[in-house]
Amino acid sequence: MGAGSLIMLFICGVAFAGGGIALSWVLAKSSPNTAKGEAYECGIPSTGTSWIQFNVGYYLFALIFLVFDVELVFMYPWAVVVKEVGMVALVEILIFMFILFMGLVYAWKKGALKWM
Amino acid sequence: MGVSELIFYILAATIIGNAVLAVTSRKIFRSAIYLLFSLIGIAGLYFYMNYEFIAAVQVVVYVGGIVVLIIFSIFLTHEAGNDMKKPSLLRAILAGLASLGAMALVLWTLQMECFMPSDAAAVEPSVNNIGRQMLSTTEHGYLLPFEVVSILLLAAMIGCIVIAIKTRQKA
Repeated sequence: MGAGSLIMLFICGVAFAGGGIALSWVLAKSSPNTAKGEAYECGIPSTGTSWIQFNVGYYLFALIFLVFDVELVFMYPWAVVVKEVGMVALVEILIFMFILFMGLVYAWKKGALKWM
Repeated sequence: MGVSELIFYILAATIIGNAVLAVTSRKIFRSAIYLLFSLIGIAGLYFYMNYEFIAAVQVVVYVGGIVVLIIFSIFLTHEAGNDMKKPSLLRAILAGLASLGAMALVLWTLQMECFMPSDAAAVEPSVNNIGRQMLSTTEHGYLLPFEVVSILLLAAMIGCIVIAIKTRQKA
């Protein structure tokens, strides 16, 4: 598995995706229709633009997600060596996760996880 | 030019091209997406240098976390879909000078520093080594920093909840 096979994979990937698009562009009949351009073909016609101001709640969820995302970064090397290190590693990660679990409890108590 | 160099140049072109597009695009949402691709390219560069762990962190934290946060903060504004105003010429020149100055500073620091080759055996930056070092309680172990990080993360989380809840009640 050298760099050459990586380049080969790259070329094959581009050819596979591009070939499908090019072939359908050549073979398909073109009959444009306004209904086909709708976001949802069935159901209620959508009104307004999609560029609306989002609820601030999303941002809070993203922030909390980011904290646990960083926690995951620390759990990755832990998970690789947990078998080697044994019991000590288990205790260490339990302390680590307990402290962060307190944060989750705090968020829960404060109603940060509630959807308005 | 070897195949390995070719891969490096492809990665470098991806990073620089998307970074330039992110700066020059007048639609802020597109800028965020270009930034995403640029960060993925940097992760590719880390993989190229065999830094698996750093590459994984780059993908998980920057691509998966920070960019999501940036996109949500764009959606919090009223004008996510509108074109941004063209910057005035003075501002463009000043910003260009500032970034050139920063680049010059970095290059100058690198040139000034005399890097000494070390006799110590190189430690392989594998995830396994990092994990063992992180959980070790011996002299060069990082167990205490590892546990302290959890308290830092807890503080960050409580801080953002306190601030966000306050603004939510005001809104």
